[in-house]
Amino acid sequence: MNSSLFRRVPLIVASGAFVAAPLLLFAGSANASNNILQTTRKNAGTPNSTIVVKNKSGTVIKYGNKYITYKAPSSKLDTLGQALFMENCASCHGSEADGVPANGTNGAYPDLVGLGPATITFWIDSGRMPAKNVAAIQARRGQPALTSTQAVAIAAWVNSLLPGYPDIPTPHLKNANVADGAALFALNCASCHTIEGDGDALAASTFSPSLRNIPAFQVVEAIRTGPGNMPRFTGNLSDQQVADITKYVTTEIQHPNNPGGFGLGGLGPVAEGFVGLLVGLGLLMLVCYWIGDRS
Amino acid sequence: MSDASATNKRAQREAAGPYGKIGQTLNELDDRLGIAKGGRTFMDKIFPDHWSFMLGEIALYSFVILLVTGVFLTLYFVPSVATVIYHGPYKPMDGQRVTEAWDSTMNISFTVRGGLLMRQMHHWACDIFVGAIVVHMARVFFTGAFRKPRELNWTIGLTLLILAIGNGFLGYSLPDDLVSGTGIRIAYSIMESIPFVGSYLAFWVFGGNFPGTATIPRFFILHVLILPLVILGLVGGHLFLLVRQKHTQFPGKGRTEKNVVGSPMFPVFIAKTTGFLFIVGGITALLGAFAQINPIWQFGPYDAARISYAVQPDWYMGFLDGALRIWPSWSFMGFGHTIPLEVFIPAVILPGIIFNVAYLWPLLERKFTKDNEIHHLLDRPSDRPKRTAFGVAVLVFLAMLHIASSTDVIANFFHLSLESTLWGMRILVIVTPIIAYPLAYKICKEMQSYRGGGKRKTPNIVSRTAEGEYVATPTPAYGEDVGHELDATPVPTYIEVEPDEPVESGVRTVDR
Repeated sequence: MNSSLFRRVPLIVASGAFVAAPLLLFAGSANASNNILQTTRKNAGTPNSTIVVKNKSGTVIKYGNKYITYKAPSSKLDTLGQALFMENCASCHGSEADGVPANGTNGAYPDLVGLGPATITFWIDSGRMPAKNVAAIQARRGQPALTSTQAVAIAAWVNSLLPGYPDIPTPHLKNANVADGAALFALNCASCHTIEGDGDALAASTFSPSLRNIPAFQVVEAIRTGPGNMPRFTGNLSDQQVADITKYVTTEIQHPNNPGGFGLGGLGPVAEGFVGLLVGLGLLMLVCYWIGDRS
Repeated sequence: MSDASATNKRAQREAAGPYGKIGQTLNELDDRLGIAKGGRTFMDKIFPDHWSFMLGEIALYSFVILLVTGVFLTLYFVPSVATVIYHGPYKPMDGQRVTEAWDSTMNISFTVRGGLLMRQMHHWACDIFVGAIVVHMARVFFTGAFRKPRELNWTIGLTLLILAIGNGFLGYSLPDDLVSGTGIRIAYSIMESIPFVGSYLAFWVFGGNFPGTATIPRFFILHVLILPLVILGLVGGHLFLLVRQKHTQFPGKGRTEKNVVGSPMFPVFIAKTTGFLFIVGGITALLGAFAQINPIWQFGPYDAARISYAVQPDWYMGFLDGALRIWPSWSFMGFGHTIPLEVFIPAVILPGIIFNVAYLWPLLERKFTKDNEIHHLLDRPSDRPKRTAFGVAVLVFLAMLHIASSTDVIANFFHLSLESTLWGMRILVIVTPIIAYPLAYKICKEMQSYRGGGKRKTPNIVSRTAEGEYVATPTPAYGEDVGHELDATPVPTYIEVEPDEPVESGVRTVDR
């Protein structure tokens, strides 16, 4: 989480946040030029907005397009969020949410300021935070310890310290194209998560998690925020492309089409070799043993 | 009237001879082609009955299934890498730019009636084919069936194994999907790694740089025509030598180096073996119907820019992949070139050593044992502890290399780190054969000393001599336990006339 990208986030926000609304409108009009690669690193998570909802005081609370809408957490939740943060997160990330640098024995606890609400909710909703095993090199997905409302509240308070992007996304998958998603998945995701989305071991005790049981909005959050080792896909994937990938993951990866019989766990030739040798050849050798002499 | 027709029929039957029209036809054929002699030899071919002698038949019959299903697939497969836009029934790939090879394989899987079953049967039969060859070869090795006069058949069998592995790899590559394309990429790199000739060889085989357009058409013609013809010819030679040299047999009652005891091809063994053909076909069909294999629609088409993690080859290439994975990254710059030893040694030198030792094994064993005799009686594996232990060590080594080809899957499944799995496999590949050799040797020795195990123990009579010494005298074995097939046959007190009829029904004894 200590990547140079995150250290640059305050700069990004300083240059971008206060002119967010005109920028959004500009991005929205640029969408009409049909260039799907409009998003840049500076407006990560606020791309190509054609939908912009403001509250009475004129603050943008919801924006996006027909593929994904991003919603900022309500500032009413700040107080609750602060209390929850102090209770669940502050022991590691500090009471200012600015993390703890690495010292002799312990690794660093990341600075959360300015990371944007979607990062906070992703880690909490997927059960990775609060960490069950602080010493683990990579947190594993699990049962979330906090409710999604509590996660949003914590995100609201952290975001109130220094607003950042992306906000909490909602994908609208009926507008997405699963075929484009399949191609984009093979290009961008399969090199770590495997083409069947099972995940696999990576170097230095890290791993790419399985995608088999992940709700759509968390797929978007992961792509946009880049948790852990994962790259943060911002400028190179438009909202439409992210929605396409999300649709492919939540349909074909999570409910694979197995017209050929049992899917054998999606492990590919490893499982096929086991079945071919143990079941196929094994049965045939038993038949040999049955019809042949055994003296 | 009826009397006359009966006489006519009788006359016709008598004119036709004892075997009727079939006999007449065969007679006519024999007059022209001389089939009677060979046919008689074939029908009288004696098959000693032991279950381990059927293992080669699994390979033979899965090859038959491969031919039949393969011909079906050839009718629909288009061996071309020309680009088309996929518009098939599988919607998640709709509109993608794919090759005709991938497109036609999808067509076989989703549109052609019975196509997916045929594809899956073909693939499962291939997995079983290579597996059966390996198991059959292990039987031949451990029982010493490769010894004089059968060295040539051992050589043919080993060549068949290599061709089967090669053809399996080619067939696996044909659909041009993401996973198999990665395999071709590795094969290209292995070829390139050969010093001096590598790049020329790779360009020659692939018709240019990877991936090129020549790969799939060339692989296709190799896979469906050239290699199957060579395999078919060698299988014919293998079986011809089997008939010519007659079967080996395990030692036992009435079985000597000079005879062969077993069921004749006709009518006994042909019934059994035909039934077995159907069983092999049935099990392959069940696997093809119920177990999905190589779902290329989940992988998508191959594109050099795309790659999937956790890609493994089919099981018979696993030892090569494993060796590539665990070999340290040793390469150096020299003579103005990169010498990629980390590819050349595990992927070219190592299989070269393994297969060459296997080819030379009959010669090596003759050299060490100085045994130049002709052998028709098989060894029990435990009677040749050194050979058995060596074979076990090599198999363990290969099995460990095979396991090493899924280091990432193991690491992910058991929540280990990839590096520790890699190092663990490096150590296991070296250590386990070293442990396996003495272990197998010791087990063989123990089994030798346990001969006659399973028989009832007889009491020892302990008596005290006049000098006070205690002597234990074993009592003779129980009557029904004597005459175990492995015990020495007692010297007869009179000349016994061998009965004409075989002891068991359907069993015949012939001289070699």
